[in-house]
Amino acid sequence: MSKGVLVDLTKCVGCGSCTVACKLYNGNAWDETTPTLGDKAKLTGKNWTVVHHKEVKDSNGQPVWRFVKQQCLHCKEPACVSACFAKAFQKTEAGPVIYYPHLCVGCRYCMVACPFNVPKYEWEKAFPLVTKCMMCSDKVEKGEAPACVSVCPADVFKFGEREELLKEAKAIIAKDAKYVKHIYGEEEVGGTDWIYISDVPFDQLGFKTNVTKRSLPSYTASFMHATPFVGITWGVILTGLYHYTKRRNQVSKENNKNIKA
Amino acid sequence: MASHAQAQKWSFRITPIRVLLLLLSAVAIGAIIFRLVTGLGTVTNLSDEWPWGLWIGFDVLCGVALAGGGYGTALIVHVLHKDYFHPIARSAMLTSLLGYLLVMAGLFLDIGQWFNFWRPFVSWGHHSVLFEVFWCVSCYTTVQVLEFGEIATERVGKQFHSIFKKALPVLMIVGIIFPTLHQSSLGALYLLMVDKLYPLWWSPIIFLFFLMSSFFVGPAMICVETTLAGKAYDHWIPIPILRKLVRISGYAMILYLIIKIVDLTNRGVLGLAFSGTFEANWFLIEMIFGIIIPIVIAFTGFSNSRSGLFTFGLLVSCGVVLNRMNVVVTGMIRSTGVSYVPSLWEFVVSAGLVAMGVLAYCFIVENFKILEHDNHSHAA
Amino acid sequence: MQNQADKEKERQVTRRGFLKMMGGIGLTGITATIAGCSTDPAGGKGWMPQQYQVASSFPVQVKGRIPIDPTNPSITRDDKKCVLCGQCVEVCQRVQTVYGYYELPIKDDITCVNCGQCTLWCPTAAITERDDIDKVVQALEDKSIHVVVQTAPATRVGLGEEFGMAPGSFVEGKQVAALKKLGFDAVFDTNFSADLTIFEEGTELIKRVTGALDEPLPQFTSCSPGWVKFCEYYYPDLLHHMSTCKSPQQMLGALVKTYYAKEKGISPDKIFSVSIMPCTAKKFEAARPEMNSAGKHAGKPELRDVDVVLTTRELARLIKSKGIDLTSLKDEKYDTLMGESTSAGLIFGATGGVMEAAIRSAYFLITKQEPPEALLNLTPIRGLQGCKEATVNIPGVGDVKVAVVHGLSNARPILEAVRKGDAPYHFIEFMCCPGGCISGGGQPRTSLPPSDEVRQARINSIYNADAHIYAKRKSHENKEVLALYEKFLESPNSHIAHELLHTHYEDRSKHLTVKKNA
Ligand code: SF4
Ligand code: SF4
Ligand code: SF4
Ligand code: SF4
Ligand code: SF4
Repeated sequence: MSKGVLVDLTKCVGCGSCTVACKLYNGNAWDETTPTLGDKAKLTGKNWTVVHHKEVKDSNGQPVWRFVKQQCLHCKEPACVSACFAKAFQKTEAGPVIYYPHLCVGCRYCMVACPFNVPKYEWEKAFPLVTKCMMCSDKVEKGEAPACVSVCPADVFKFGEREELLKEAKAIIAKDAKYVKHIYGEEEVGGTDWIYISDVPFDQLGFKTNVTKRSLPSYTASFMHATPFVGITWGVILTGLYHYTKRRNQVSKENNKNIKA
Repeated sequence: MASHAQAQKWSFRITPIRVLLLLLSAVAIGAIIFRLVTGLGTVTNLSDEWPWGLWIGFDVLCGVALAGGGYGTALIVHVLHKDYFHPIARSAMLTSLLGYLLVMAGLFLDIGQWFNFWRPFVSWGHHSVLFEVFWCVSCYTTVQVLEFGEIATERVGKQFHSIFKKALPVLMIVGIIFPTLHQSSLGALYLLMVDKLYPLWWSPIIFLFFLMSSFFVGPAMICVETTLAGKAYDHWIPIPILRKLVRISGYAMILYLIIKIVDLTNRGVLGLAFSGTFEANWFLIEMIFGIIIPIVIAFTGFSNSRSGLFTFGLLVSCGVVLNRMNVVVTGMIRSTGVSYVPSLWEFVVSAGLVAMGVLAYCFIVENFKILEHDNHSHAA
Repeated sequence: MQNQADKEKERQVTRRGFLKMMGGIGLTGITATIAGCSTDPAGGKGWMPQQYQVASSFPVQVKGRIPIDPTNPSITRDDKKCVLCGQCVEVCQRVQTVYGYYELPIKDDITCVNCGQCTLWCPTAAITERDDIDKVVQALEDKSIHVVVQTAPATRVGLGEEFGMAPGSFVEGKQVAALKKLGFDAVFDTNFSADLTIFEEGTELIKRVTGALDEPLPQFTSCSPGWVKFCEYYYPDLLHHMSTCKSPQQMLGALVKTYYAKEKGISPDKIFSVSIMPCTAKKFEAARPEMNSAGKHAGKPELRDVDVVLTTRELARLIKSKGIDLTSLKDEKYDTLMGESTSAGLIFGATGGVMEAAIRSAYFLITKQEPPEALLNLTPIRGLQGCKEATVNIPGVGDVKVAVVHGLSNARPILEAVRKGDAPYHFIEFMCCPGGCISGGGQPRTSLPPSDEVRQARINSIYNADAHIYAKRKSHENKEVLALYEKFLESPNSHIAHELLHTHYEDRSKHLTVKKNA
């Protein structure tokens, strides 16, 4: 069973406490050029989580503001983990997808692979590393909520077993008509440990909604499993062909009395 | 340098073009050192939106594809024993070897923690397609160096020549398995990008397209290369040999085209190709100039002339380059939302790597039996 | 006497205890340096409340913070300084009852009454006023612009603290001197327009009481912009109770670009109007779209009545940045025309002051007689008690019931009573900040949270000036105000007075979902 976080976007007031908590807990520097809150907020090598400001319309067509916290979704079957050829990305039992900098080669395949473009790179450094939210894994390991989750004054988050949270989310959106009938992260890319509910359709809030429901690693898994088999078979065929054609050439050469060597 | 001792015997002609190439290499080496010391951010236009750019797209993906001529030729000549093609075997394999060395260099430049490049040898991310690519490319390059050992020992370290000679068949077979695997897995790298890569390029069998195109681009590269080498060294491979090769390539391309259309139709995205979008146009350019016209050339009288063969080679090679760049850049623009133009230095380094390859090729051709090899080929 | 001495001793002890604690902190600092452990620059890493002093930079007890709209005209926050202590939530929710009093999801606004109390409570000064000093400096440097400044009643008992003086130090004359030194072309007193407010608001009240004006009682004071916005958000149905009078700041602003401009022969668009306020909400108020009466009057609606509002803290920074030492300045006088004031205007700065000033003059306006001495020391409505009330017998009218509340949490019960129709008052004074303007969100930060001792010292200073320093204690004695009516405004609540000195309010309830029975 893995832990997860349920994010109720209808409750977020955009205070940015979560982004500050992430900085404080992880000791990340403030990005001088990119804010963590507002219209210009962006995940960067230093910003592991940001809160976007969206001006949208609610179901009555009234203009409303919504705030969307973004961080790694901690996919159940993470593309980044399956992409990393050095095992620098790993999914823990408890749920967090974490990164071991000493193993990283810096190929950035993880960045290309993540369907949500979460991993970022320390471009300005001579020997850059990949960075992303690690769900405060040492806290989660102890059963504590991640730093950002623990500071929210507006009760946006619930931390717990993912499956429990999913049930809870289903109950909430079934009971309250204002919610859209979609739990983001329930099925996206095979399911994520952070799941979201909202009263405004997710595509208007900057969520990628056209993603596959299949887990991404499953796309490569069959390919990878076939590889050794293909390799060996191919080797056998080639060896066979080598001997067969060599022999055939010799035979034909002998037959034609056309031996040159 | 060992060459110093026998300086009078080694030859390297200096021509204006070569001076230019040397210059280019020198600038590139400067840029490379600068990049290795200061990081990627200072030299490249790569960003969080574009983690992969020209170096991965051109130096690595195209490099590997274009160097694919080596394993194709090895397959035809050494495994299928079509001795008919022997005259081109050595030069094709040399191009391939140099190509792979450059790919390794390109990769090395592109990784952020370059001192950590050996990590995947010990920390096995075996579920990663890149893991397969990494191992295959490393092994194949090693194999190719060994294969080249057979040629090199004709001149230096002659006492080892017979060992290499004996090992050659095994090396050849291993040297075909590896490229088959990684040519396809380079494509398979993009399997994960199902929601990011434009559907005209993303495909559940993208690896097959990568594999096939790396196969049919081999003869095309040989056409280009032999034309250039022919001009430079006045050494001409007979047209019929090349034409036969081009035909093999042509059949592969027809198959490729059919599979492509079937695949697009199956996924219901064939219509996208004619939707007039930015991606669609590039896709059509790639298919028409890189596949359809070359097929026509291959099976008409045009391929009976050197200019026809050269055109074929050029079109197919550029077509494959375009295909790889489309996958890395064009097909990703929409999902990324920002565009990417490589920096001057990225171009300089890429061009510099090619220049180094050409120079090395010239040097080796002038000092080892590469082109005139046909005289001796049947000795074994 | 004995008792007093004991108390004194006690206070000293606590102070000593405090100093000892500080000394202790200093001592550890020194030890660390000697042992070679600390490579930090002198001054350390800044002050952190006790509860955060644990290993790791992550506070033990974090509560989150209030949301602040990046376009908020009054306050901003430096994320780098925030330690998530939750003090801002504490003051916003408990003292001002703003945060947490609306339903989620929010609508299209981050509810904030701009009071700036959070700037006082924030232990790290992460939240501060929006700094507008540059705009003023620019105007001062432009010789073609005539820069006029007004100072609110309460800044003169606060500014001194920024220069090391005791809380409540009365620096009226020094403040004027500093402003003149800074190069302001005219220095006026908001006390003047406070006196003027008494005329306007008093007349309005009388009209309401006599039925000449068809608006309900009790009448609410309207000079505290944080309170006004609060009412617009949470009690829009009671806006009819709100006096239509602009705040003294906006009255003076409107007059600077009409009356003063006319008297001086300066074109209103060459005048730059600055106000020095103890309040961050004044920045919001000055920016309200309708606050351009002078401009409209002159046919140039783009002109603002007040161009820039500086808080007391900003003024202190401006003075310091020019190398002026406030403490050594010789007292100077306000400029004439709108510089005269009575202490009735002055006591606007303290909770209960508006009411007391109003009663002093209402008595006169109704009875045409000077109020008895007792009405000049209306102690029941002075002091820091949250809700105060008094009944004043005015001959001819009878008992007038008044109430005074300060701090928005204290406003809610009385507003609910008004809503239900069981508030027996004629007139209610509302001040957004606890203690009134003297501890407004723009006043000098004290050791936290703004302690009642400091508040009391500032209030005492105001009433001391009322009793002992000012020559006149009743607004209707202000000669310059009387001259203003004679030369320009005709009479209280005249047509032109309405045009320039009165305003209207906006129902803001559409921007939030008010929590029921919060
Ligand atoms: S969101 Fe991206 S980085 Fe996070 S676990 Fe999923 S694939 Fe990995
Ligand atoms: S950049 Fe590092 S973490 Fe990412 S895939 Fe490459 S080696 Fe793994
Ligand atoms: S879970 Fe931890 S690392 Fe991730 S965004 Fe929250 S605080 Fe940052
Ligand atoms: S702490 Fe909570 S309310 Fe504040 S921005 Fe984060 S999620 Fe929203
Ligand atoms: S009071 Fe200041 S430091 Fe504390 S949470 Fe609020 S902004 Fe942050």
